[in-house]
Amino acid sequence: MRDSCAQILLKNRYRVETAENGTAGIQKIRDLRPDAVIVDLKMPGMSGFDVLDALPGIDPHIAVIVITGYATVDSAVEAMKKGAFDFLPKPFTPEELRIILAHALDRRRLVLEAEALRREKKILEENFITMVSHQLRSPLVAIQQYFEVVLAGIAGDPEGQLKAMLGKASERLTGLLNLINDWLDLARVDQRRLIGKLKPLDLRKTFDRLVEFMTPSARDAGISLEWHGPAAPISEVLGDEESLEQVFMNLLSNAIKFNKPQGRVRIDLRDEPDSVVVEVQDTGIGIAKEHLPFIFDQFFQVGRGEDKARKKGSGLGLSIAKKIVEAHRGRIDVSSEPGCGTTFMVRLPKSSQAGALA
Amino acid sequence: MMTATRAKILVVDDDPDFREAMTAILESASYDVVTAINAADGTQKILSEHPDLILLDIMMDSLFDGYSLCNAIRTSKEFEGVRATPIIFVSAVRQIAGSRFGFKGEEQGMTGPDDYIDKPVKPADLLARIARFLKK
Repeated sequence: MRDSCAQILLKNRYRVETAENGTAGIQKIRDLRPDAVIVDLKMPGMSGFDVLDALPGIDPHIAVIVITGYATVDSAVEAMKKGAFDFLPKPFTPEELRIILAHALDRRRLVLEAEALRREKKILEENFITMVSHQLRSPLVAIQQYFEVVLAGIAGDPEGQLKAMLGKASERLTGLLNLINDWLDLARVDQRRLIGKLKPLDLRKTFDRLVEFMTPSARDAGISLEWHGPAAPISEVLGDEESLEQVFMNLLSNAIKFNKPQGRVRIDLRDEPDSVVVEVQDTGIGIAKEHLPFIFDQFFQVGRGEDKARKKGSGLGLSIAKKIVEAHRGRIDVSSEPGCGTTFMVRLPKSSQAGALA
Repeated sequence: MMTATRAKILVVDDDPDFREAMTAILESASYDVVTAINAADGTQKILSEHPDLILLDIMMDSLFDGYSLCNAIRTSKEFEGVRATPIIFVSAVRQIAGSRFGFKGEEQGMTGPDDYIDKPVKPADLLARIARFLKK
């Protein structure tokens, strides 16, 4: 049987190797890495099924054709469930063998091509992100830099309408830069990317730093930041420090921005049975009930008409925050009472929970 | 008669527009300005001009250009005479500078700068930071 198959296939210019039993066959597959293997299901010793079981560990995309005895469709179906492409019941003609092999090899080729394309797409995506980051940002930053110098009066003193118009142009530019930065952030948040950067974090320390950083701007806005780090230690969360900082920074700066004069921002950090919870509460104008469901949508900003066009924020902050929190297998929620204030709650799994982010 | 020597600041950046903008800002605050177009040029100018402070772009030819130069100034024999010169990293790409919360070069065992500033630089901010370092 081996030799007659070999003869048939050699005629078609295939390179052919044979093996007399399952064990020898597996060894040859390991050594020679063929594109396809034709296996007789009924063999003494290591059976055809055993061979099939061993294959994924050696080459998951190898094309497999099984040869079965007369009228044994069951074992053929069994074999295909184990990854065989097709089966050839004995007796078969040379033509049948050739056709089935050709189809099997075709499929293998397509699978390999799809994988290569997927890898290429990933590289292109990453290059695109880097390219956009550098090529788009660079000249915009250079333009903004000149605006900064001119508006500071260093290249002559701009007055009245000149100063006002330059100022507005500069603001629109800031909006554009923020948009690009945020859009790239959004594109970059990916659970797969996070995996390498995860480590156990003590959020008390994170907030100590963030509050210290935000205190001057809170003071400038007349808002008081209430952060009383919990006295008892809080469970650690497994996370990427930089992106979680981004989330909390966004919540804090929103809470300061959308607050009433002399308002308060309260930060609460606590342990719950299954997770660590952060709450950022402001005494701002709140969010209307009809807007709440959309608050995490991209580009959603409360405000109408002209105000909206001039906004410096990109409208992506909360959708980025949500994406980051969810990439950490956490949850972010919002509740609000118009006129009183808004509370954002972030819930993150503890690092001690097995498989939190595996 | 009092002659006050103006402090000298070295700006290392491969972008001529940025060098021009920084020169304008620094000269408006009565600093002398020297510029360099890359790390090699920067090295030469540091050793020949002995600036009182260095503004160092960290995204020049390759990512570690700025980091390497900073590290060299702090640790290599070549820069012994100018070891303590204050260095401010200037970054165009927000996340590469390392956030204000950390210095990314640390992972490579490198010594970092004295301060960071992001592009685009606000004149008042830059001048305040520089003044802090040059006040003796």
